Amino acid sequence: MITIENLTKYYGSNRAVNDISFTINDNEILGFLGPNGAGKSTTMNMIAGYLPMSGGKVTICGDDITENPVKAKRNIGYLPEIPPVYPDMKVREYLDFCAGLKGIKGKEKKSEMERVMALLKIADVQHKLIRNLSKGYKQRVGFAQALLGNPKFLILDEPTVGLDPNQVVEVRSIIKDLKKEHSVIFSSHILSEVSAVCDRVVIINKGDIRAIDTIENLEKSFNDSSVLHVKCAGSKAAAAAIIGVTEGVAEIMEAVDEGNNITSFTVKLSGNAEQTQEKLMADCLKNQVTVLEIYTDKPNLEKVFTELINRPVQKKSMDELLNEIVPEKTDSTENEDAESEEKEENE
Amino acid sequence: MFPIYKKELQSFFYTPFAYAIAALFMLLFTYIFGVAIGGMDSSNTLKFSFTEIFYNVTLYFIFLLPILTMRTFADERKFGTEVLLMTSPVSVLKIVIAKFLANMTVYIFMLAGTLVYPIITAINGEVVISQLICAYIGIFSWGMMFITLGMLISSFTENSSIAAIIGEIIMFGVLFLDDFANTAFISQYPKLQSVLYAFAAQPRFAYFSQGFIRLSDLVFFASATIVFLVWTYISIEKRRWKRG
Repeated sequence: MITIENLTKYYGSNRAVNDISFTINDNEILGFLGPNGAGKSTTMNMIAGYLPMSGGKVTICGDDITENPVKAKRNIGYLPEIPPVYPDMKVREYLDFCAGLKGIKGKEKKSEMERVMALLKIADVQHKLIRNLSKGYKQRVGFAQALLGNPKFLILDEPTVGLDPNQVVEVRSIIKDLKKEHSVIFSSHILSEVSAVCDRVVIINKGDIRAIDTIENLEKSFNDSSVLHVKCAGSKAAAAAIIGVTEGVAEIMEAVDEGNNITSFTVKLSGNAEQTQEKLMADCLKNQVTVLEIYTDKPNLEKVFTELINRPVQKKSMDELLNEIVPEKTDSTENEDAESEEKEENE
Repeated sequence: MFPIYKKELQSFFYTPFAYAIAALFMLLFTYIFGVAIGGMDSSNTLKFSFTEIFYNVTLYFIFLLPILTMRTFADERKFGTEVLLMTSPVSVLKIVIAKFLANMTVYIFMLAGTLVYPIITAINGEVVISQLICAYIGIFSWGMMFITLGMLISSFTENSSIAAIIGEIIMFGVLFLDDFANTAFISQYPKLQSVLYAFAAQPRFAYFSQGFIRLSDLVFFASATIVFLVWTYISIEKRRWKRG
């Protein structure tokens, strides 16, 4: 397990990562989502032990990365944003060097190299100079390097950038397979990728964590069920009349004629979406209006992402900050806390 | 540590780099050797002293050493491979030492080529072996100091050409430190002069090429080497902390 506690990074006076905490469980793929410049790479560099942190703590399998770096780094395979390859080396030489760096020796080294080359399908270029490889191959060579020695944790910073669509699919399936033996932290700004691969996501913007949850939960929490889409065959006026009077419907927002006697309605709901949907179906059936399609707005990660990113950070008031510092709380401040929490929830 | 050493050696010897730099060094050495032999007067055989060639050769050597060391850390940064080294379970100090040893190996390779000349001299004349050994110990320690200085400069930048140019300027300055200390201007300030003189490497090297091994000179070169190595380590660590 990797534990990240109150991780903070300043570049001069500029705060790149602000007091973030989360954990990576065993056999889990954790997505790290955020727009460019959100602090993803900085955080990953800190977890991998490349950049020292300004504050906080990263513990890898119980070893603190700053106090016990050599031991902690043994459990990590890291693929940075730019694959760290030597252009003047051949692929095989490079992997041999990386295996040596990780302390893999003798027969094990050879079998490890064969394993990762087979896994990433780079065996056919093993005698080529890295400088002559395409971007996709370089990326895969970098990925292979991270896998050497079977480290428990893999930190992959945008592993699919620069790959062609076929390779992207391949790499994604490799990452999914890795879950059996490894935990993966995987950053991306491609949402479809994250939703296809990850178990949990951390959404980060401007150095702050905006959300940590499973994709399903995130989508559920942002599910907009107040709008219903209905597609009917038959007379537009008749359908509108039925829909308009159904219990739970507030108003018909839009009615688009699609030709062939088919109309699409967008309906605003006042009541429970599922019940209204059932009632509406029943009413239509009774009045011989055929319902071709009926659905509420489907949740999607993109919407969740934009909402979370654009939502202003909930700033703590001075009182709240003071309460955090002072350990003993009086009854009145507790009440205030509860009130402010309520307010936040309402927002 | 060994894999890094091996990788560095590969980057020198699998490419024409080590051979080219050794060839250039041999060319310069041959030139000085030839001039010394050619200028020898038959009436005064003492005029040709083999070990003095070493002293003269340092002036040319100073242009080659920064070329040897320029890539040490600059290229790691340029290609982004520094991340690989820093996130591997190898400490920064070990990385610095491995790279130092690799540079020294190439340096020894370059020096080994010059053994041809004492052999030629021995065939046609007489070589004072003890003095020759002194000279080699001297140039070895002298080079060790300048190589670590070059590595330090390479750790400051990610452009290897800049590392080479700055290295040449600084090493040239160090080479002529004693001449500078002897100028009339500096002589006005005896204390400053003695301080500058204490840091001058050339007079110490001159003792070696004359056949003296003095403990103080050995300590000077060894401590300078250690200081530059530690400074290199600090420079790398410092940049990691500052890095934006």
